Amino acid sequence: MKSAIYLMSIVILALGLYAYDVRQENTQLQQTVHAQYTNSLTKASEKLTSLQQSVSQSLLFQDQEALEKELDNIWRTSNEFRSSISNLPLSTDVANDWLRYVGNIGEEAKYVADNGDYDEWYKKMGTVNENLQALSDEWAVATSNYYQNDGDFKKWANVAANETKESPFKNVSANLKSYTETDFPLTASESDWKKKQELQNLNDKEITKDQAIDKLELLLPGIKDATYTVTQSKEDAPYPFYHIQFVKGSRIGYADITVKGGHILSFLSERPVQEQTGITQQQIKDLTNQFLERAGYKDLQLVEMRENHDAWHISLARVAGKHKALVYPDGIQLKVSKDSGELLGFNAMEYVQKETVDENQPVNPVDWNTFFRPGTFIEEERMIYTENEGFQLRLCYEVIARFDNKLNETFRVVVDAENHDVIKVEYMP
Amino acid sequence: MVRSIIMTIILLLGSFAFVKPPTDTYAFSSQLIERGSFGDDVVELQARLQWLGYYNGKIDGIFGYGTYWALRNFQKEFELDIDGKAGSKTKTKLVNATQYNEKWVKQQMDAGNQFTHYGGTPLAQQTKAGAGSSKSSDVQVPTKYSERDLQLMANAVYGEARGEPYEGQVAVAAVILNRLESPEFPNTISDIIFQPGAFTAVADGQIWLTPNERAKEAVLDAMNGWDPTENALYYFNPKTATSKWIWSRPQIKQIGEHIFCH
Repeated sequence: MKSAIYLMSIVILALGLYAYDVRQENTQLQQTVHAQYTNSLTKASEKLTSLQQSVSQSLLFQDQEALEKELDNIWRTSNEFRSSISNLPLSTDVANDWLRYVGNIGEEAKYVADNGDYDEWYKKMGTVNENLQALSDEWAVATSNYYQNDGDFKKWANVAANETKESPFKNVSANLKSYTETDFPLTASESDWKKKQELQNLNDKEITKDQAIDKLELLLPGIKDATYTVTQSKEDAPYPFYHIQFVKGSRIGYADITVKGGHILSFLSERPVQEQTGITQQQIKDLTNQFLERAGYKDLQLVEMRENHDAWHISLARVAGKHKALVYPDGIQLKVSKDSGELLGFNAMEYVQKETVDENQPVNPVDWNTFFRPGTFIEEERMIYTENEGFQLRLCYEVIARFDNKLNETFRVVVDAENHDVIKVEYMP
Repeated sequence: MVRSIIMTIILLLGSFAFVKPPTDTYAFSSQLIERGSFGDDVVELQARLQWLGYYNGKIDGIFGYGTYWALRNFQKEFELDIDGKAGSKTKTKLVNATQYNEKWVKQQMDAGNQFTHYGGTPLAQQTKAGAGSSKSSDVQVPTKYSERDLQLMANAVYGEARGEPYEGQVAVAAVILNRLESPEFPNTISDIIFQPGAFTAVADGQIWLTPNERAKEAVLDAMNGWDPTENALYYFNPKTATSKWIWSRPQIKQIGEHIFCH
């Protein structure tokens, strides 16, 4: 009996020590996270104040140099504020609204600094300045509880879990929504991801499920007579489409086809692929061309090919205009298996709704010898259409430039054909 | 007579045994190697070009611009057609002019060592064990992404959707990339994945499971442009979702257990 009591005591003592250790670890962890959240909150609050002051100060200057310094400050501070906000456990709704609103201010500042459209800035930012002040006040009220010295981590834990309307951030959220709509109304085709939504503007004749399958089999004869499951997109989808899932032998895949017009948006098939290469890169190119011909795509040009273990990924872009320029936003991607050259994937979501190119944009020649430093070689040059930071489609020069050094470092440089603004510089490994 | 024939055969076999096995094996396949190519042929090409000092970059099996210019310089010097493609003439010339220690190179790559393959210097002096920065590249990703991005996204996809069909895994990767383009989300893949409360796999630690090849392939397809979600920014499992807010989002389509929405 005595031994049993002795053993029990040891077990209880050991469990007690273990529980104490776990609790200590949990407390330490909570304190670390609490400190990080408080730090992010403090940074966010400070950056919000700086941003509001910078926007206010930018309205003070007519002097170009002073204004540009302030615009640069606004762009930088808005990015820092976004970073702090994204580190806080806010509900998705509140975080998204903040990121969008402040991101818009930063983008606007960058756009104005690049384009010199200062009058537009003064016109728009008067209201933004007032709204930012109001948001700053609401934010101070909403966050005041988190600075109390009671070290209650549960408050933070509840922030993301609560619905917005039950949280202290409900007023901030409501104001952000309203100010975003009034201060930065959406414009059409601002960027690629919005372009995809423009598919809702398709006005082609509607097709049936069976016609969608016929369309798919015509393009991809290899999946003929597969077992299909066809569902239609949900009611809220911006454009209606058929979601076709298929199984044929070891192939499992899907295709999305628009109800209006029966345009194939994307297709992807998964099957075991032998890594052993059975066909050459040239054969892959030939098969790509055969597919494009069969599908009726006559205005595409190969841009890039990338080999991996099982397949090749191939990018193509539409060629348009009198300069025969590549329209990068109107791209198509293919995935071709290395073992047999079978088409495993096809993506034409961005190609379906084609961009309108400006044929009349002036093209001014560039003297690359003075544009680049000595020792830089221009290896390739072609015309392309791509979006600038203001989301305008511009005719540009695309050059592949190489440093004449030990590593032959190579860059892709995109230069506006009219005003010679550098739109993009990419390091090409 | 029979004895002398047998002796001759034994002598012949014996002499073969003393022939030194070649360290420089002609291992190129018959494929034309050009920009965009990937794999063992490219490793050999880079190693041989480096042997002569034409290629000074990392031997990683990816035929990028660094390899392209090095090959063109070699072709120019050896009076071949300058096209930056390694066909049979170029490969033969290269093999005759260089040595390639395939076994050693593969060992360095597998060990993740930092190494070079220049001629004229003992190979043992050209490796830093454990430097770890030049491990063989697993995949070729589009220029705007890095291998780190792919690794991190594969972890997220595997943690979030490993039980889902392939389409569902590409879809989760596409949602991350759609967020990258959206002004409502942070500006880097890492910030998007680790945004507090954004992904269940981060909260429950499943993001730290080792992703399989299927998850990596799904991420690669998404990086190359595929988006089975039709531009969704969110997804949820209707059986487990408790947030009222997520149900209020406009829904696009369902793939496996996940509903994708704007």
